[in-house]
Amino acid sequence: MGSSEPAVRIVVCAKEVPDPDAVNAYAVSGRLTIGEDGKTIAQAAVPLLMNAYDEQAIEAVLRLRDAGHECSLTVVTVGTTRPEYLRKAGALGADEIVQIHHKAAHPDTLVVGTLLAAYIRSSGGADLVLCGRQASDDDQGVVPAAVAEELSFPLVTMAREIRLVGRQLTVVRATPDGDETVECTLPAVVSVSSELGTPRMPTARDVIAARAKKPTLIDSAALGLDDRALAPRLILRSLVVPQKTGSCEFIEADSSANTARALVNRLRDLGLAIGSGASPSG
Amino acid sequence: MSTKKTVVACSLSMREARSESAQEVLTAARLLAEPLGASLTWLVVGDAGDDLGEIGGRFGAGSVEVLRQRGDTLPGEEALVAALAAAFEQERPQAVVFAQSFIARSVVPRVAARLRSPVLMNVLSAAASAGGAVSATASAFGGDTHARYDLVGDPPHFLSLLPRAVSPLPVAGLARPAQVVERELPAPAEGDRVRVVERPRLLGPRLEDATIVVSGGRGLGDPSRYQLIEALAEALGGVAAASRPLVDEGWVAASRQVGLTGTVVQPELYVAVGISGASQHMAGCSAARVIVAINNDEKAPIFRYARLGVVADAAGFLPALIDALKGR
Ligand SMILES: Cc1cc2nc3c(=O)[nH]c(=O)nc-3n(C[C@H](O)[C@H](O)[C@H](O)COP(=O)(O)OP(=O)(O)OC[C@H]3O[C@@H](n4cnc5c(N)ncnc54)[C@H](O)[C@@H]3O)c2cc1C
Ligand SMILES: Nc1ncnc2c1ncn2[C@@H]1O[C@H](COP(=O)(O)O)[C@@H](O)[C@H]1O
Repeated sequence: MGSSEPAVRIVVCAKEVPDPDAVNAYAVSGRLTIGEDGKTIAQAAVPLLMNAYDEQAIEAVLRLRDAGHECSLTVVTVGTTRPEYLRKAGALGADEIVQIHHKAAHPDTLVVGTLLAAYIRSSGGADLVLCGRQASDDDQGVVPAAVAEELSFPLVTMAREIRLVGRQLTVVRATPDGDETVECTLPAVVSVSSELGTPRMPTARDVIAARAKKPTLIDSAALGLDDRALAPRLILRSLVVPQKTGSCEFIEADSSANTARALVNRLRDLGLAIGSGASPSG
Repeated sequence: MSTKKTVVACSLSMREARSESAQEVLTAARLLAEPLGASLTWLVVGDAGDDLGEIGGRFGAGSVEVLRQRGDTLPGEEALVAALAAAFEQERPQAVVFAQSFIARSVVPRVAARLRSPVLMNVLSAAASAGGAVSATASAFGGDTHARYDLVGDPPHFLSLLPRAVSPLPVAGLARPAQVVERELPAPAEGDRVRVVERPRLLGPRLEDATIVVSGGRGLGDPSRYQLIEALAEALGGVAAASRPLVDEGWVAASRQVGLTGTVVQPELYVAVGISGASQHMAGCSAARVIVAINNDEKAPIFRYARLGVVADAAGFLPALIDALKGR
């Protein structure tokens, strides 16, 4: 798989999200609140990051490069802020960074997918489009499907490993029943799951070098989409923080052995068929 | 405009159709159909099932449509997307409700995108008004928030329902079995662009189906302690599972991960050891009837979900618990 092959054009779709661990930390301590608009998280201290699965999608491309494939990498995001992560993507080896500004109505997942697909089409198409399995803010996992459908590409979700031989793509998917291996021919859309593994960090030198890489800004109006294609079909009305009030009964005795016995007795009181050998252990 | 409005409950396999999740989906779909003045159809992908008419009738379906798979292999995702998109494009039901399984996560967004119809995943509840407006609440930020949306635009409105979000509610009174019609599942026009070369081989019982699940988390501290989780699962007669960090670290197979991005379990008993109770983990286990938490931090959020709790060091307490179960 040498450099005699033409370069594979890979586009990674990356979203900026509030740090899910920070949101979680507020939530578990009961301090998560919703802003006055009723639709966003109020805590301004929550940093914005690249969605972790999207970082892993970039990592998947870097591994293809490590394996000797010539890949061009474009990272594209739909959003109006100027997030730091675009710079990180450059430091990691993105050849091009694109930000699509969409100032009209807040785009829903189908509109985001339509915008991404329109950008890909207008920029000469792609051999492989990589997404994260879901964005950790909306948790929807719809955008990869929307991109695939708009481009009429096949979609493979939940990738833990991506291999390429010529234009033949092999993807190992993490399923609840274990790994599944599928094949398809490029072009394709693949969504990446956390099982792909920890993404690498850019070196300090790459970070400095990447400062010169300026993102290309594209106005969504330039993508030639009509109002119908850009009309959101999901309108967010409100965001609420569900309340969790516990009533845990703590089991405590003078020794581990006695606590354990008390717990086993409570479980039997609750009518649970424990230790009956009814269901085998894996 | 067609005068006969329908709402469709959709089950993507025979196994699913016969499970409780199908009854949840039928219930959610019926609660949408009633205010819309629509009839309820149950669409099932699988082979013929004589019992489906009875189940469908009990949950208010006027008819059951079986899209018959060829042979005994389940249709691929491409085939499912093509068949469902074709079916809904013709009939344009008001809403289609799915159970959010692994396969639904891949298939439902594509069917909706192909028809350019609104789609919402992770649905907790849905409602319709007589005027035809559909709104739904979905889990977001791993469950830290709930987001309420209006679905607008051309029907069908696609909803993917989280397991245990809705309790199955049969229709009141005597139900007549629904009429079952069968059709062959059409092959996708472009063929199957994605070929499965190696199917997953499940090692051990399905986590989803387990009645007792014991999960270990980062609080175990050391990979070798995971053996205690396996031993406890065995002593209880259950299945061993884990939180995501253990999967990320490679201690445990990905198919054993419980949570938002793992398996959603609904056992009678869920034992969480050394697990803090992050919402992304609880999204996968809060449907358990009884949750037992074992954690050395009495302030750990898991205790807010647990019915029974033990504040203890896992390495010290688990051997005692295993002994107690074995009657020692
Ligand atoms: C998009 C997204 C999806 C995610 N999906 C999932 C998912 O599907 N499943 C999942 O599990 N997570 C998921 N996560 C991760 C989740 O947010 C948490 O980080 C994770 O669940 C924490 O795992 P844990 O409880 O094992 O570890 P920790 O949060 O580190 O908790 C360890 C616990 O062990 C306790 N402990 C420490 N020492 C001991 C001891 N000696 N004895 C007993 N207890 C001890 C501590 O008090 C602590 O409560 C996801 C995150 C994101 C952002
Ligand atoms: N605004 C966006 N810009 C670029 N990519 C996005 C955007 N939103 C979603 N994606 C991609 O689609 C994946 C799934 O997002 P979602 O469907 O929102 O859960 C993400 O992991 C990204 O790869």
